[in-house]
Amino acid sequence: MTDASAASAAAPPAVRKSSLHQLDARTKKRNASEARFKAYGLGAVLIGVAFLVALLYAIISNGTPAFTQTFVTVEVPLEPEAVEAAEASFVKTSAYREIIYTALAERLAEAGIETDMGPEELGQILSSSEAGQMREFVLANPDRVGGTVEFRFFASSRVDGYSKGRVTRESLARDNNLSAAHLDLVDRMEAAGIVERSFNWDFIFGADASDSRPEQAGIGVAMLGSLFMMFVVLFLALPIGVAASIYLEEFAPRNRWTDLIEVNISNLAAVPSIVFGILGLAAFIQFGGLPQSAPLVGGLVLTLMTLPTIIISTRASLQSVPPSIRAAALGVGASKMQSVFHHVLPLAMPGILTGTIIGLAQALGETAPLLLIGMVGYIATNYPDGVASGFLDPNSAMPAQIYEWAKRADPAFYERAWGGIIILLLFLMTMNIVAILLRRRFERRW
Amino acid sequence: MDDLRLTERSVDQKEIKISASNVQVYYGETHAIRDVSVEIEDKTVTAFIGPSGCGKSTFLRCINRMNDTIDTARVSGDILIDGEDIYDKRVDPVQLRAKVGMVFQKPNPFPKSIYDNVAYGPRIHGLARNKADLDDIVERALRRGAIWNEVKDRLTAPGTGLSGGQQQRLCIARAVATEPEVLLMDEPCSALDPIATGQVEELIDELRESYSVVIVTHSMQQAARVSQKTAFFHLGNMVEFGETGKIFTNPEDSRTESYISGRIG
Repeated sequence: MTDASAASAAAPPAVRKSSLHQLDARTKKRNASEARFKAYGLGAVLIGVAFLVALLYAIISNGTPAFTQTFVTVEVPLEPEAVEAAEASFVKTSAYREIIYTALAERLAEAGIETDMGPEELGQILSSSEAGQMREFVLANPDRVGGTVEFRFFASSRVDGYSKGRVTRESLARDNNLSAAHLDLVDRMEAAGIVERSFNWDFIFGADASDSRPEQAGIGVAMLGSLFMMFVVLFLALPIGVAASIYLEEFAPRNRWTDLIEVNISNLAAVPSIVFGILGLAAFIQFGGLPQSAPLVGGLVLTLMTLPTIIISTRASLQSVPPSIRAAALGVGASKMQSVFHHVLPLAMPGILTGTIIGLAQALGETAPLLLIGMVGYIATNYPDGVASGFLDPNSAMPAQIYEWAKRADPAFYERAWGGIIILLLFLMTMNIVAILLRRRFERRW
Repeated sequence: MDDLRLTERSVDQKEIKISASNVQVYYGETHAIRDVSVEIEDKTVTAFIGPSGCGKSTFLRCINRMNDTIDTARVSGDILIDGEDIYDKRVDPVQLRAKVGMVFQKPNPFPKSIYDNVAYGPRIHGLARNKADLDDIVERALRRGAIWNEVKDRLTAPGTGLSGGQQQRLCIARAVATEPEVLLMDEPCSALDPIATGQVEELIDELRESYSVVIVTHSMQQAARVSQKTAFFHLGNMVEFGETGKIFTNPEDSRTESYISGRIG
């Protein structure tokens, strides 16, 4: 006998009357546990949202500076003798550089900015890409020689960092490339309109640049490489994946072999992507003799990786088509294939397309297998002059390029890595929106 | 009254359309149909009745070989349509199903327009030479499905937007559009309300003029109303087969009598 029952035994046996206006203990407990569960769920959602907001904030705040760049506008006189002498010299760009430095010094004097720096020291404000930029212009427009041309040169990454708040006078104390005096000068040049920060299309459409010139680096070529790979993936993975799923789902007999295949497809979907990279290296490059760093090989590897995703989602959407539709088609005398292609496939189409685009998006963001097959080509010239113009030419890919930048020492590259992530995310978001739109369109057809 | 009507409808002997003998069906290890032999006449409505799981639907699905789509199903014995064995190796089930139409338990129109639902069969079987011809076939089928007047102004509307009874009549129209010789109906009214059921039953009675109709039904009243011949199935056996009037008034087997009077089932 417990205490409770002893107590109740002492009390008179009252008739239990329950009121609907009073919650009994069990109901209270039930309601409390439900409220608790709701709170846990809400908490989980809020934590997720908080992480997402933090992530987006980090990406946007770190990445947006990459889209603007500091430029120095200089009018450079292209005197024929000077150009000729430069073209005749051994290191042509250094001769051009001298012309630019002199022009810059003159421009400062013209603007009334006094400085005791020589042209050489002054030139450190400019990116070391300036001479190449000028020479390219001269070679492309020989008729402009003899006149004066206004050039917009990249400022050096330190100057750019100063305008973005990354570089300060204190941090330059141990820097050989730039001094605090330079920054004073830059302030005055900015006031005079010689130095300005503006949107940099070269970051989106340009090619990669060497370690010492982060200001020049762009993601355009890597974008092209990703585009080539996505073509390969789309044109291989979609037909192969859909054909395999239709066969497995609608035609294949259910036996030990198909079970085995099914299990293996599910397993393949969970295989780490770097394994596919090793497989691609061994099969396509070493055994198949295809070139390294080629978008074709990258595309093939990503196809292998995407196939299980596409097959699984396609089979799921085929399975979700009600069997009554198949029965109806067979009932009016359609063959198996007619029932699949006239009725089942159109109904499954939105699901198949969504699965495919999600598979493609996954492939677009994949880095590890690309590192193994060398899809991290350093391409410094842009399409169509560069080497990155086809399926078999060495190239890079967006995620690989981002990885490359994040790896480099100069913080200016770090900023570009974040900027690259923004572009990659924009692509992924676009693809997902396309998936949603396609889905809507196909579902509305009837 | 009913009895009078039933005997009145028992017509003269007609030619045999479907003749099944010693049909056995196995689903894996389960013996679903045991030794069923039945002769189904042309231009007659034959009803299969019996409690759930007695094998009446299974037997129906043998007649157009829909059981082929189930991997584990095995059928033995002979089913002849017009004297030809439909389980012969030379028979293509697709060709058979064009000849033996089927209407399912749940209305299952294609998620397409009303017109396309009916036109689909004629299209894939090449029954129409041109568009006008196809229009004719569709109109005729919808008229025979007793739904023409309700849908003639909205043939391009989706078939799935119709009411349940209309959908089922559309499915019947779809089945007759391919000019079948036999029409199988697997509990065609079980998802319908009494009014829609009445319309479909009326339709079945009309279809008798052109087809041999075989209908599986749970409702004994329905069997009594629409059929001339009735077969009673129980636990995979066909217990009794005969004139509907006789089965319902004077069954030979005690099991039939128990089922009719509601003691088993």
